[in-house]
Amino acid sequence: MTDVIEMHLKLLFDLDNLIADMEEPAYKKIGFKIEDEASLELIRKRNQLLKKLPEELGQIYEILKRRYRQAIAPVESEFCLGCFQKLPTELATRSKEIITCPNCGRILYWRKK
Amino acid sequence: MNLASLLSKDRVSLSLKPGKKDSVIKDLVYAIKKGTDAELIVSTLLKREELGSTGIGKGIAIPHCRSLAVEKLEIAVGRTSKPINFNSIDKKPTSLIFLIIAPPQDPGNQYLITLGKIVQIAKEITKKNLIQKAKTPEEFITLINDIEKGLTKRK
Repeated sequence: MTDVIEMHLKLLFDLDNLIADMEEPAYKKIGFKIEDEASLELIRKRNQLLKKLPEELGQIYEILKRRYRQAIAPVESEFCLGCFQKLPTELATRSKEIITCPNCGRILYWRKK
Repeated sequence: MNLASLLSKDRVSLSLKPGKKDSVIKDLVYAIKKGTDAELIVSTLLKREELGSTGIGKGIAIPHCRSLAVEKLEIAVGRTSKPINFNSIDKKPTSLIFLIIAPPQDPGNQYLITLGKIVQIAKEITKKNLIQKAKTPEEFITLINDIEKGLTKRK
């Protein structure tokens, strides 16, 4: 995965979380004003970002998003934070590939230290 | 979770360089993260601002987002030496900015609880005209702690 694709993927994920939060009753209750037209524009931007990903990756992302709401899971102390299963140690060394969790299938993300 | 406990003095800047909204947000993000992670957070925060300004009025703004780039709830606070245009809802300039970034996975929905708490504290700050009160980051954290205690007592 190139750095540019990785950046698009991460931004897509963050925007999807932003869109999901806007729909949360607890978020709406806080009282921030959201403009309808701007939220539609955000969805359009998110879809454009999805198209910038390699087709297969985009499809995997969308399937995982539908299944889990969040398609990407960070890794912490060798655990997938999506399903909380321990990951095989050798996965971390394949940092330039798209790696999915062998247990839940989410796309794994190792944070930069 | 106590809000003051999430603040540290190195994340409180009471003489933030005034500038455009984007650059002020960037400066606050860089107090938390550097490099491409910081760029990711800034992009998400600016997209959030496009939905509607997080400038809640009376001189305070609360930019916020979730990001893959952080592993725990992160807060930075900045007070600009001169008020800036944050496109706030009351169209008035802003000088106190609470920046909050949460990880995507957030057990107990700590992010939204904290965000709600910051909004309440911000309202107290404006009501009592306290934006310029603290002279040092330590004083600012004490002020937040006192307001938070007051709000808890009222409940």
